[in-house]
Amino acid sequence: MAYSIGIDVGGTFTDFLLADAYGNFTVYKVSTTPHNPSEGVFDGLAAMAADKGLSLEQFIGRVEIIVHGTTVTTNAVLTGSGAKTALLTTEGFRDALQMRRGIREEQYNNRYLAPPPLVPRDRCCPVKERVTVSGEVLTELEVKSFKENLQFLKEEQVEAIAVCFLHAYANDGNEKKAKTLIRKYLPGVYLTISSELLPQVRFYDRLSTTVLNSYVGPILQDYLENLARRLDDSGFQGVLLIMQSNGGVTSPRDASRNAACTLLSGPSAGPVAGIAYADTHKFPDCITIDMGGTSFDVALVKERRPLVITDGSINRYRSSVPMVAIHTIGAGGGSIGWIDDMGLLRMGPQSAGAIPGPACYRRGGNEPTCTDANLLLGYLNKDYFLGGKMPLDFKAAWEAIGEKLARPLGIEEIDVAAGMFSIINANMADGIREVSVRKGFDPREFPLVVAGGAGPIHAGMIALELEIPTILIPRESSIFCAAGMLLSDLRHDYVRSLNTLLSHLPAGDLAAIQELFKAMKEEGHRQLLAEGIRAENIEHTFSGDMRYLGQYHEINVCFTEEEIMIGDMAQVCRRFHHDHDRLYGYSLEGEGAAVELVNLRVSSLGITDKPRFRNCCLAGDGGAALRGRRPVYLPDRKDFRDVDVWDGDRLPQGTKLNGPAIIEQVNTTIFVPPQYELELDEFGNFIMQLGGAACARG
Amino acid sequence: MPGDDIDRMLVSVLQSRFKSITEEMGLTLLRTTRSPILCEARDFVTGLYDHRGRMLEQTEYIPILAFALQPVCRYIIEYFGDEIYPGDVIMHNDVFTGGNQNADVAVFKPVFHGDELIAWAACKGHQADIGGAVAGGYNPEAREVWQEALRIPPVKIYERGRLRRDVWDLIFANIRFPIVEEDIRAHIGGCVVGERGMKQLAEKYGASVLRRHIEYLFDSTEEMMRREIRKIPDGIYHGESIMYYDGIREGSEFKIKLSVTVKRDSIHFDYSGTDPQTPGFANAPYSSTVSALVLTFLMLVDPNIPHNDGLLRPISISIPEGSFLNARFPAATTFGNTIANPHSDAIFKALSQALPERVTAGWNRMLGCSISGHDPRRGRHWTDILFIALKGGSGATAGVDGYDHIGLINCAGGILAQDYEMFEVYNPLFLLRHEYARDSAGPGEYRGGLGVETEFIIEGEDTTCVTFGDGVDEGAFGLFGGQSGALNRLVLTYPDGRQYIPRSKEIVRSIPRGTHYYQLAGGGGGYGDPARRQRRKVLQELKEGLISPEQARDVYKL
Repeated sequence: MAYSIGIDVGGTFTDFLLADAYGNFTVYKVSTTPHNPSEGVFDGLAAMAADKGLSLEQFIGRVEIIVHGTTVTTNAVLTGSGAKTALLTTEGFRDALQMRRGIREEQYNNRYLAPPPLVPRDRCCPVKERVTVSGEVLTELEVKSFKENLQFLKEEQVEAIAVCFLHAYANDGNEKKAKTLIRKYLPGVYLTISSELLPQVRFYDRLSTTVLNSYVGPILQDYLENLARRLDDSGFQGVLLIMQSNGGVTSPRDASRNAACTLLSGPSAGPVAGIAYADTHKFPDCITIDMGGTSFDVALVKERRPLVITDGSINRYRSSVPMVAIHTIGAGGGSIGWIDDMGLLRMGPQSAGAIPGPACYRRGGNEPTCTDANLLLGYLNKDYFLGGKMPLDFKAAWEAIGEKLARPLGIEEIDVAAGMFSIINANMADGIREVSVRKGFDPREFPLVVAGGAGPIHAGMIALELEIPTILIPRESSIFCAAGMLLSDLRHDYVRSLNTLLSHLPAGDLAAIQELFKAMKEEGHRQLLAEGIRAENIEHTFSGDMRYLGQYHEINVCFTEEEIMIGDMAQVCRRFHHDHDRLYGYSLEGEGAAVELVNLRVSSLGITDKPRFRNCCLAGDGGAALRGRRPVYLPDRKDFRDVDVWDGDRLPQGTKLNGPAIIEQVNTTIFVPPQYELELDEFGNFIMQLGGAACARG
Repeated sequence: MPGDDIDRMLVSVLQSRFKSITEEMGLTLLRTTRSPILCEARDFVTGLYDHRGRMLEQTEYIPILAFALQPVCRYIIEYFGDEIYPGDVIMHNDVFTGGNQNADVAVFKPVFHGDELIAWAACKGHQADIGGAVAGGYNPEAREVWQEALRIPPVKIYERGRLRRDVWDLIFANIRFPIVEEDIRAHIGGCVVGERGMKQLAEKYGASVLRRHIEYLFDSTEEMMRREIRKIPDGIYHGESIMYYDGIREGSEFKIKLSVTVKRDSIHFDYSGTDPQTPGFANAPYSSTVSALVLTFLMLVDPNIPHNDGLLRPISISIPEGSFLNARFPAATTFGNTIANPHSDAIFKALSQALPERVTAGWNRMLGCSISGHDPRRGRHWTDILFIALKGGSGATAGVDGYDHIGLINCAGGILAQDYEMFEVYNPLFLLRHEYARDSAGPGEYRGGLGVETEFIIEGEDTTCVTFGDGVDEGAFGLFGGQSGALNRLVLTYPDGRQYIPRSKEIVRSIPRGTHYYQLAGGGGGYGDPARRQRRKVLQELKEGLISPEQARDVYKL
């Protein structure tokens, strides 16, 4: 039996989806080991091996593909704990990174601060060198002062260096020289060269992306090397792939080199999974939410496509490599409740994470968390957390909430827990508004696809606040992103600059276009073959960045292979005019305006064999799935009521239940509020409808 | 309380949708315009207005332009009366019929649902040229509006979807650069994007539902604003400030006199006693002054209040006609937007008595420079505004340092310094340096924002620099023991070594190729006694070279 595994290392839990060749899915979940996340990965692999009755080596020897998403780079940026980084940049421009072109995002807020610097000013080193706008080297890199800089950085013991010189996209000579010198004098240092990472004009965008890459690079590289070594040692002979921010996967080597492309490695799989699950009910659109231990990620999918952007930012630093648009807030099971200066109860964004974790985990945590509140309110079963593998301590949760919150506030413990529950729900509803309402979409028109271990307890109340009628909770919701990773294709993006007039193509440039497309296609083809993709599963898409002559921003317009082959650039220009009109309300086709080509791009996709959703064949007596009743807090009544508790793993297909109800599964618990009706669909996924109304379009 | 026919979720969906439509319009302009003032610096605004011309939402990259769109929209509705048709496009810049500056040209497009006028979409941007005596629009030598610009009172450039080629050609025959023609097409494109968005909303919800919810949105926004004003203690507060030099009389000064009356949930701004207008261009038209007032006041209230007509209802304003804040026809007024600097000083000073924790110390007053000439690389005329060089620091406030390199208050960090590489792609200028200026921030327990120094070599030929600014006589003021920010400074060093320091409002012609340009944009004012600043911060900034050892010792008492 051959296996493929999706692994998503989150802040609190590491999630696994194990798929076999028959399309059977098994979910695993272990605690994340923040000091060295690969330990958690191996804990999970060991658990799978044990379940299959195999030794770790026997099991790993049968694994063909591991797709891995990691938050190590994201966490490094968000917590300011990236590598000790230095910037070498053209003399006279050392402050560009921190200046961010002088933008203040909140114009009317005089208390708004710039984000903390990734590289402090004294490690932003000026370099004597200069390339002109036309790509001439005006001043060769001055070696003597450059070496002095390197000496200083050696003394400072920097771990990473970013090199970004003015106009290096037009001539990378001085950056190459800098690279040679740095490699020679500081051989162990992680290095990013701007003209290699992002060879395109716009200094600040390239600078910021280059610095981010160095800031997170050493951390990712160490992590992946360590992981690959351990896998090798355990007899792994399959392919290890890393989830990228663009919603596709790549090799570990490529990921380590372009670490900035993994800043959304984990969450970017969410929308990919959301598309697949929403599709089972014929929904073309959805909002995916993923509530883990530390953070809450929201993304909006429109017409089966997640939004990919190249002008994104992380912590307000520009990152110009492609990434799926995801909104993240600090809300999760580990979110800590606290009292602010005004004496008001607040939740997060600080999280107790996996270690020390919520008070009820009894791992040394004594802060009152969201999970502790959920336990007090009866949503969680102290004897059935992680299927009973991890008993929860009710008394510890009660005491943490009592000591830290209830007594200082002078309110009963249960009322505090209810307050914590409703505050964190309101915070998450706001997160959903950010991607929907604030972008002009009405959330009521989107089914909510719910993920994350803690998500299904809260989803009902969040949806109720936003009046969202339909909630879809995949059976694998607790490891949603891990599932998305197994559903992702390999993706490599290539870009080459070619500046010419597409509408008035000079002789020879058609051949150049054909050559460049061919070269990129072949590169992608080779790369994918090397990654084990069969030729018939490789697809390439061709496009170009174009603009009207004189404009300075481009539109990406696709080329068909036939148009490239026969040289039908007139058709491509027509498509450009049409797209320009659709996007910007006018076209200059009638005026005969010249169309300028700036870049050519190829995206090479390696279509992977994806595990298919199998019809779930659970049948039989629903009554047997009833576990009993227990008191559960109902927010509307502001009181407890005895509520039916069902075993979600034994409920037969087609089951319909009215809220209020609790559905317990090994890795997740669903709270069905009184206003919703729950149904188990043919794939074993749960669908909740407001007022029992049939809103599914399928 | 909302009536039964109001869906509050729909109100917030609509409000956000209006916002995102104006953002899409803004993106359209950003992506399709060609003049660097627009596509790099974002010197434009977009907005939506209801059928009566009341503001629904705006995207205010540069707020001073924004609050002058609503009065123009109302004027257009009154002017054309029944003769507004689907497919019309109307152009406008005239400062005596609601415009804020001649070079800020607006394009309006009415939005129809069936036969019914339901809304207006508008885009307004600073054009590379608008005719008049000098390229680029800033003309300190102007004495009346005709020397500044081609006046465009409302005129239809499209009627019922048909281009009026004669009118179009008349306008562009009076404007120097063909790029402006392309940029106005981009403005029309932005309006089409806005029109599509509003039409979709009307089709989805119906015009009457839309209208009802818009009224509710106005009312609830008004209430939010009134709630904010109730937090200000009742009283009459006075503030004064001075604009220096009108470009004519050496050493001339112009005083702004402001009294602010807060009474329960309304606020009145009275400028009686403000100095009369100058014969030069350092005057503001009414719209520009109102815009400056609104944008400054918005910094003192909850920043999350939506920007629509309801916001303005509790505010009343009285500006004497003939004063330099409300200049009489046919005054020259191109400098008007820049008067937002001394104007906001007067507002902060007045309200520092009522809201000491909310006001800021003075912001660096902009010293702008519009530069133009011949580009030998491309063999053509070029022009740009040196945003990169003019962005100084903002004033500090209670508990928070000023914002570094933010620029003039009437943009409030919405306008960007040019990207260095794009700057050289567009302009025949060779950048040498662009860095924070040491000791430029006004010292204080909370320091002002840092200013910047810019240096470049002029590689174009026959270059003209037009300065339009202030802040060379008086630094951004400090508050409650804080000190002033550094002054602005501009120095031209000609190839023969001769140095020239232009006045704050002056045309410098025939600058030779090879001239070295230096500009210091000063810092913002400090807040509170510098001796009380956290030692950790002083040490850190000393180590990073942002303050000198002398300042650390003598001013911060380290």
